[in-house]
Amino acid sequence: MDRFTSILLAAGLGCFALAFVLSGVYPWLITDAREPEATIAEVARRVTPEFKQLKEAYPVAFAAAFPGADECLTDKDLAGVPLDDPRRARSEDAWRAAHTIALRDGRDAYVAEACWHCHSQYVRPVANEAQRFGRVRSAADDNNALQRPVLWGTRRVGPDLTHEGGRRSNDWHVAHLRDPASTSPGSIMPRYTWYFRDGWQVWRTIDPELAEREGLAPTTRYPIPGVYATEAEARSALERVRAETPENLHAERDRLEVAPSSGPNETALALLAYLQWLGTWDASQREGVPQ
Amino acid sequence: MTSTATQLEAAHAGSADLVDKGLVKWHLVMAMFFMLTAMTWGLLISLQFLHAYPFEGISFLSYGRVRLLHTNEIAYGFLVNGFIGCLYYAIPRMTGRAVASSKLGWLILFVWQFILVAMSVGQLLGFAQAVEWGETPTGFRPGTFDLNYIPVDFLIEIGAVLVAIQFLTPIVRSVHKRQYVSLWYLTAGIVWLILTYVMGNTLPEWTLPGSSGAATVGLFIHDLVGLFVTPMGWGLMYFFVPVILRRPVWSHALSVIGFWALAFFYPLNGVHHFLLSSIPMSVQYGAVISTMAVEIVVTTVIVNFFGTMWGSGDALRTNLPIRWFYTGMVGYFITCLQCMFHTTLTMQELIHFTDWVPGHAHLVMLGVFSFWIFGMTTWLWPRLTGNEWYSRRLNHWHYWLSVIGLLTMFVDLLAGGLVHGFMLNALSDWMEIVRAMHGFWAVRTFAGAMILAGQLCFAWNLWKTWTGPKRPYDYRVDLATAGGV
Ligand code: HEC
Ligand code: HEM
Repeated sequence: MDRFTSILLAAGLGCFALAFVLSGVYPWLITDAREPEATIAEVARRVTPEFKQLKEAYPVAFAAAFPGADECLTDKDLAGVPLDDPRRARSEDAWRAAHTIALRDGRDAYVAEACWHCHSQYVRPVANEAQRFGRVRSAADDNNALQRPVLWGTRRVGPDLTHEGGRRSNDWHVAHLRDPASTSPGSIMPRYTWYFRDGWQVWRTIDPELAEREGLAPTTRYPIPGVYATEAEARSALERVRAETPENLHAERDRLEVAPSSGPNETALALLAYLQWLGTWDASQREGVPQ
Repeated sequence: MTSTATQLEAAHAGSADLVDKGLVKWHLVMAMFFMLTAMTWGLLISLQFLHAYPFEGISFLSYGRVRLLHTNEIAYGFLVNGFIGCLYYAIPRMTGRAVASSKLGWLILFVWQFILVAMSVGQLLGFAQAVEWGETPTGFRPGTFDLNYIPVDFLIEIGAVLVAIQFLTPIVRSVHKRQYVSLWYLTAGIVWLILTYVMGNTLPEWTLPGSSGAATVGLFIHDLVGLFVTPMGWGLMYFFVPVILRRPVWSHALSVIGFWALAFFYPLNGVHHFLLSSIPMSVQYGAVISTMAVEIVVTTVIVNFFGTMWGSGDALRTNLPIRWFYTGMVGYFITCLQCMFHTTLTMQELIHFTDWVPGHAHLVMLGVFSFWIFGMTTWLWPRLTGNEWYSRRLNHWHYWLSVIGLLTMFVDLLAGGLVHGFMLNALSDWMEIVRAMHGFWAVRTFAGAMILAGQLCFAWNLWKTWTGPKRPYDYRVDLATAGGV
């Protein structure tokens, strides 16, 4: 019995506690304890331009994903609105609120799919990593609620994503998420097809002759942003587009059509927002810290 | 020979009613079941790397989610069930007392399998948490108290406490005044499991942010291996090896040194999972040095076991359980030797994010602890069912397929890891790296298929032995040939 107690106390509790203090509490005391952890709202304050573009490109899914989306005004909506109009301030707040939700849900999706088992978020000061991926990761970069638990990862089947934000366009990410091999031939990343919803979309076809005369890109059929659940909704969108198209673009106007399509769903928008945010925040942006 | 055999027979009869054979048997059955499922997942996910994943596009069977099942079912389904089964056999025999309660035993058995199902379903549905080897769903949205799934972590903690009650009771009430070293390991391991699990599944989720959270995650990964799996494994080896070889351990002094050095150094290693990171360098250097110290500890334990075998080396040839055990010990020595080198910052720079690490993980998890559980199951099964092996030959197939498959996988992933590491260093294009790795990944799948085939041989053999026609098992036959080939 005495042996039992000594093992229980010395080995069972003592050694465990010692290690916990030395490799858990001590690093906390000399790094993260010095500054309060940034909240998700705080790291979401600077709304990325890519996030705003998601609303333009996928208005329906965007409105479904983020409450208050109708108050989020894009640059196009704000054209001509006076600088002191209260709508601007309200829009700013709405964007931040939506971005906060997007980052939280995007991180949750990143964890649920275990993206972190193939991608690191951990740039080390060795092995030419700063050259390949960008600035080396510091403790301050991780002192925020999105890194609890930390998403450093231990494996790099795919590249490090620390500085992924802004590196690629939304369109690239959408195509890549749906079928990685379409943007990166031979990629072994899984296809995340369940992040896409089939629907209807308005397509604009440019008359090939016109395209040639104007020197346009060889792709003459392209989608107009907005994926709709039913064909009827897409038709009324088509009418809106037709009404907005200036008279002198008559040649194109005739070639608007509705066709099946698919677009990212709500979770995918959040995941895209998260990817586009990665690396755009650092501790120097915190309030009260001189910029 | 006859007198030893008679004594053994008496001992068997004496403690026979202390052991609840049903519990041993069912835990081992569940362990083998999860071994098969987890390996099937392993083989499946390895196909992703070869553009051949069969379930692409199905959310709940996609690579990421199935990968979580692979590692978590191995840890909580195979290793925990396997160790608990063996504890039900070993602890009553070492203490002369039955476990706390057979009813509690069946409760634990059912609760634990329920936990495993809840864990697997949760991970497939996307409720995993981002703690490696602890992806068991907390049931809460990360860092908040919004419940979104069954709180599996919490159930595991309750399960671990029940296990502690079950096994610490006979240890406390032991009929022997002095405790054999095996019980030290097991006592400590049971307590450590509770502490480790609570630490790793609460602090990085709710309180510790960023790099200090990472330090605790590292500590959790390491403690789960070093303070639960390792002491369970060694504790059982200290019981089974002398029992099967019928000789005492070579040196009790060495076994005591080994125990205390493990207790002291192992938990200090945690941060070596995140070297060259933003965790303070002083902590990283501390982890590197204690990792190297562990190798010295390991050497003492290995010397002790080889000393124990000295003079009965023939058992390696004639006695399959012993062969499993000592193969595992050699594997353990290699793993720890490898660790001593790749924990250095120089090697870390090269291998950290590459296939080298899964190579290492498979050697230690499969090549050591799983091999020991296979060995113990091989020894126990005829004794539990009372039936002679359906086919002893299949057991050899199990051994050789597993060993050759594992070695192939190990060497392959190590080599692949080096290639990956050098190409990362050289700033090669990413797709070029992926293409370069293709061959290594193909070999891994092949080796995995071999390992899985070995397990199928074993599972079939266990099944036929259990349900086949009665051929009473006579342990004296095994004794006469010095063991149970
Ligand atoms: C099987 C491992 C694997 C998984 C799981 C995985 N990826 Fe990838 N990922 C790769 C590979 C390999 C590449 C490089 C080739 C390519 O571009 O597709 C890559 C590339 C990427 C890129 C492009 C990086 C760049 O800028 O070049 C992004 C972004 C990305 N992945 C995001 C994700 C997200 C988000 C998830 C989870 C939903 C995920 N990945 C899951 C393997 C994986
Ligand atoms: C059929 C045989 C097996 C195959 C084909 C297989 C395949 C795999 C694959 C593809 C991975 C992911 C590696 C990566 O992220 O790049 C993995 C990880 C892992 N496997 Fe297996 N596996 C097998 C058996 C086992 C067994 C028996 C165990 C344990 C007893 C095990 C333990 C692990 C562990 C711990 C990891 C995580 C490694 C890490 O994150 O570094 N595997 N396995």
